[in-house]
Amino acid sequence: MLSRLTGAILVSALAIGHPARADEDATAWRLFVADHTDPTVTAIDLDVPEKRWTFEVAGPAKLYASAGGALVTAVQSDNERVDFLKSGLARDSHGDHADIEISEPEAIGSIEGPRPFHVVSHGGMVAVNFDRGGYAGILEEGLLLDGKLDERRFPMNVAHHGFVAAMGDHFVSSIASKEPVADDALPPRVGVGTFAADGMPIGSMHACTDLHGEAFSGNFLLAGCKEGVIAFDARGGPDAFTMLPYPADFPEDKTGTLLGSVSMQVFLGNYGADSVVIVDPTAEPYFTRVELPFRRVDFILDPARPQFAYIFTEDGSLHRLNMLTATIEQSTQITQPYSMDGHWRDPRPRIAVADDRLILTDPLDTSLRIISTADFAEIDRIALQGLPYNVIAVGGSGLTH
Amino acid sequence: MAKRRMPLKSTTAVLALSLAVPATAQSNEPVQVVATFSILGDMVARIGGEHVTVTMLVGPDGDAHVYQPTPAAARAVKEAALLFVNGLEFEGWIDRLVDASGFDGTRVIASEGIEPIAYDEGEDHAGHDHDGEEHAEEDHDEEEHGHHHHGAFDPHAWQSLDNALIYIDNITAALTQSDPANAAEFKRNQAAYAAEIEALDAEIRGIVAGLPRGRRTVVTSHDAFQYFGRDYGLTFLAPQGLSTESEASAQDVAHLIGQMRAEGVSAVLRREHHRFPPAGADRQRDRCNRRRHALSRCALRPRRSGTCLSGHDAPQCDDARTGAGVVR
Repeated sequence: MLSRLTGAILVSALAIGHPARADEDATAWRLFVADHTDPTVTAIDLDVPEKRWTFEVAGPAKLYASAGGALVTAVQSDNERVDFLKSGLARDSHGDHADIEISEPEAIGSIEGPRPFHVVSHGGMVAVNFDRGGYAGILEEGLLLDGKLDERRFPMNVAHHGFVAAMGDHFVSSIASKEPVADDALPPRVGVGTFAADGMPIGSMHACTDLHGEAFSGNFLLAGCKEGVIAFDARGGPDAFTMLPYPADFPEDKTGTLLGSVSMQVFLGNYGADSVVIVDPTAEPYFTRVELPFRRVDFILDPARPQFAYIFTEDGSLHRLNMLTATIEQSTQITQPYSMDGHWRDPRPRIAVADDRLILTDPLDTSLRIISTADFAEIDRIALQGLPYNVIAVGGSGLTH
Repeated sequence: MAKRRMPLKSTTAVLALSLAVPATAQSNEPVQVVATFSILGDMVARIGGEHVTVTMLVGPDGDAHVYQPTPAAARAVKEAALLFVNGLEFEGWIDRLVDASGFDGTRVIASEGIEPIAYDEGEDHAGHDHDGEEHAEEDHDEEEHGHHHHGAFDPHAWQSLDNALIYIDNITAALTQSDPANAAEFKRNQAAYAAEIEALDAEIRGIVAGLPRGRRTVVTSHDAFQYFGRDYGLTFLAPQGLSTESEASAQDVAHLIGQMRAEGVSAVLRREHHRFPPAGADRQRDRCNRRRHALSRCALRPRRSGTCLSGHDAPQCDDARTGAGVVR
């Protein structure tokens, strides 16, 4: 296991020096930032940014947080490795209150496999798609947090760039064509279906050409397709898929990235390079398209205020989208322009939300910009080394017992 | 329910409403209102008649415990003059929906003034009967109990017909304040509805009186009938807690089976929930759907039949194997 806490870089050895007293309200946010080039993931306490921990991984990582924020998954596709970290912040809702446990972040361990890519966390299970392995590694979040890397494998119909979502005893998986492909190309995705744990279908294949992008919100799992967005209703049976076709008056394009709100049943997807679509799978019109003034760099939903999403465009502007009215309510120039020309993975800003603050990586400024969600004013700027790229924020408030 | 009654708390609540609810509608314009779930929506529609347009967020086949607000719901809330909620933390999602929507109307808590059953008082449903258990509070493993998200009180207060009268009092007061020009009609509708409820109460009491005292224990899936049980002297056992967010554990079910055997339970009420069914269950689910009706609208009949409280529908509840009344 190469991941480890690097004590030399640990700025504060006793970062949690003043633990909250019992039954005290506590609020804590922690950022995890992956460098664009260096094989590092840095954890930073948002309100005490000198408290940092650096984890060495195998390569540049895409970061995912579990629903409660306790688990961080760092996917290093080019290095065929997935590292798991304990964030050190675990929130647990009890209806009338929430508890929060605060500790130092720490490395759990890693798994390896051929080209890991999409990660879907659902129902306490983490599914890592290994695009060239033909399977998804299935791990239980609770066991991971106990330090147990107990990976089961869900076999897909054929190796492809897709996704698997654990749905209790069943799995929803993308399906790819079995027709021969040239050289080492991966086969095109053609559909999605429901499977037993051994990979045997328990329903039909539902067509979804060029499937890409998936997200959960409420009762639905959505995936982007060439012909529309396909919706799986988790309350239904194994064939509870419905294709939501793009409206006829939409320009020719498709959705390939989806985000699902955690506090309202609604999705936000891209639609081509310079527009986004708000998707409500329960009521027509399913899609509301919002044109952007420039090409989109990154976008994110506000987990606490589901009526808002934030979009960063290549001109260096941040936009607040009202998801209910489908209007851009505010646009503010934040950084220098970041052109979307060039390689898709060139270093460009990424966004995270920590309650009423937006965190924007600014690779060319080697910093994190802390922006108020209310008026987009820059509250703080945290200097970093290297090229800060992917970022997630975990935390919140709760009682400490 | 021998006589119509309005507790002091309810009177206070209505008076408070009279100060809080602005008049928002002209007599010839229906008041746009939102009710969080269908039973509450039915009540509002009965009182408001043609003078209200009611949007129900959770329909008759929905489950308010696990409802997921949608953009359409947020828009409906924003446009409403009145938002009727049950209260007692029944709608755990309502605050964030109100915040998201920008709602600037009046929120009416329909249960205001009822005498709530504390959660601890009603905690003797299967799996929560801690009598005789000696584990300490800190040993209470929430994982085993499936994370029950509920407030301090059982929120299913409308299952008491006494409480239903208080609900319609509160609804009438809110509508009257919002649309005073139609106050007389609201009052007439309230009186007619109250008479129906009182008649139903008498009918249920008669039915229950015909049940042998040793046969007044009922098993249901979701513990939503404490108020009904309190009012009519029935005992309800349920493996699933006050909120359908939780799942019954194997230990809960084993405990319930023991209770059923010990008490000679002969009636099982089953409410269908939206869960991911096993493969090949579609046909069975369709059968269930055809026979399904809202349990909350159904009162018991001794053996072999069921009937509905409010006359919305009246399915015959069959008894396939046990000779007991089985309501699906």
